[in-house]
Amino acid sequence: MSNEVRKEYQRFNLIERIQHVILFTTFLLLAFTGLALKYPEVEHYSKWWIGIWGGPETAGIIHRIAGITMLLDFTWHVLYLGYSLTTGRMKVRKDTTIIPLPKDVFDLIKNMLYFFGLSKEKPQFGRYSYIHKFDYWAVFWGMGIIGLSGLFLAFPVHASYLFPVWTVNWIWEVISVMHSDEALLAIVFILFWHFYNEHLKWDKFPMSMTWITGRISIEQMKHEHPLEYKLEFEDKKGEDK
Amino acid sequence: MRRVSVIVFLCFFLLCFSYSASAETFTPLEKQGFLTGFNCLACHSAMKGKIRTEKGNLVDVNVDGERYSQSIHGGFDCIACHKQFGSNPHEPAKITNVPQGIASLASKISHKAKVDPVALAACSECHGDIYKSWQNSIHGSNVINKKQTDGASCIDCHGSPHYITSKKTGTSTINKKNVVKTCGKCHEKEELAKKYNFGTHILERYYESFHGKKYILGHQNAPVCTDCHSYHDVKQWEDPMSPVAWNNRTETCGKCHKGATKKFVTAITHKPIGKDNPIPYYFAKGLTVLLVSVFLFIVGHVILEAFAEIRDRVFRKKKEEHHE
Repeated sequence: MSNEVRKEYQRFNLIERIQHVILFTTFLLLAFTGLALKYPEVEHYSKWWIGIWGGPETAGIIHRIAGITMLLDFTWHVLYLGYSLTTGRMKVRKDTTIIPLPKDVFDLIKNMLYFFGLSKEKPQFGRYSYIHKFDYWAVFWGMGIIGLSGLFLAFPVHASYLFPVWTVNWIWEVISVMHSDEALLAIVFILFWHFYNEHLKWDKFPMSMTWITGRISIEQMKHEHPLEYKLEFEDKKGEDK
Repeated sequence: MRRVSVIVFLCFFLLCFSYSASAETFTPLEKQGFLTGFNCLACHSAMKGKIRTEKGNLVDVNVDGERYSQSIHGGFDCIACHKQFGSNPHEPAKITNVPQGIASLASKISHKAKVDPVALAACSECHGDIYKSWQNSIHGSNVINKKQTDGASCIDCHGSPHYITSKKTGTSTINKKNVVKTCGKCHEKEELAKKYNFGTHILERYYESFHGKKYILGHQNAPVCTDCHSYHDVKQWEDPMSPVAWNNRTETCGKCHKGATKKFVTAITHKPIGKDNPIPYYFAKGLTVLLVSVFLFIVGHVILEAFAEIRDRVFRKKKEEHHE
């Protein structure tokens, strides 16, 4: 790093930001177009709501296109991760990795103690706190469960060729429940976890701009990601000051 | 004066002639029985209330003339179906007025028809093929062979014959919008489900399925009961002639799902998700537990964190400043 005082730190590069934009656009479309089909029995509202999305036929088409786009985005992300790791652009390090570690459990406990006033000390986070990791892996898990079951539901005849004979009497019930319950979980999760942590928090309201710029301020980094800050700037501490 | 009297005479003559002419055109039509409908409805559209028939059924005597005239059979004369009555309402009903075929059919279904078995049998006069396939259906054979009163006949599904409209109209009982409810009139009844050993929560399960959910939302391609089970010739599903019998299912499902195989067609059973189908039952329970626990965790965490943040900002403000 240079000798001048840096005010901001590049947290996400352009590719990661584009992947995120595609992800949340398709997510919102999927949630909006799928919601009425989950609760059609609330008849007046479900019909009105699906009408906004062009009626059940159009909403179905939007849902399928958005779903496939999201899965492509997911595939791109995984390939990109693989590429970055093999070329060494991205390294797995204790304080910057998204992989859950035992420290995250201790951080959660520490944080809880802090919330309840039993401890004066906040946990020290790296690049990704357990909150971020939970956010990331919840989406990852949901992508697998909802994406796969969604593909089965969109192409039921082809899916049926894949299922072994002993599953055919119950597999469709399982897939439907899987798709719709997990989707509800995903919506609730984003609504509470992601919205609180990235939009409603005291210093982030109405939203953190990182999703557009990819940058966070050094101040914020020191505050929220102290371990990553140390890792990045420790050796240059004297120069920085 | 003479001229005037001639004109008056001529006018009188013309008047007489025109009167007799109109009288002449009305009489033969009435004799043919074409316009007696107006006569019957003169009273029956005004009458209110119910009368008890010989069999002890309460029957509504009112026929809504306006709705009748808008119905698909609205141009018909009453006695086109109520054949035992003559064109003269003072004559008593005579079974000899009824053609033999319809009379014998009427006697077969007389236990079923509350009001007028002849009129119910008269549907066969125009809708012969449909009537035949109904007779061979599970509904028809239940009425004709098993002599049951709760098998569906024409009017149980199509509604009162006086008000049948095209199935394309929204008021039709067999319009796509209404047909599931129409089947449900009987197929949701617990006592009938017990008596005939059909599944109890069939409609509920249909509404829970993707087909049913799309149907509720008004999806054009969503299948209703009759799309898979057929209608006039509906059979019990294990009957090899039924379109949902195992051997016919690939074809029936294949109407929409091209390439459907035996493995695919097991997807829909209308069986309730219960302990007899344990895997989806416990899977759904497990998912609910997961959902609720994740929900509690995240909501709890968010609320705690928000309170802690407010606490830090409001009550510990000075301390933090000191600290930094």
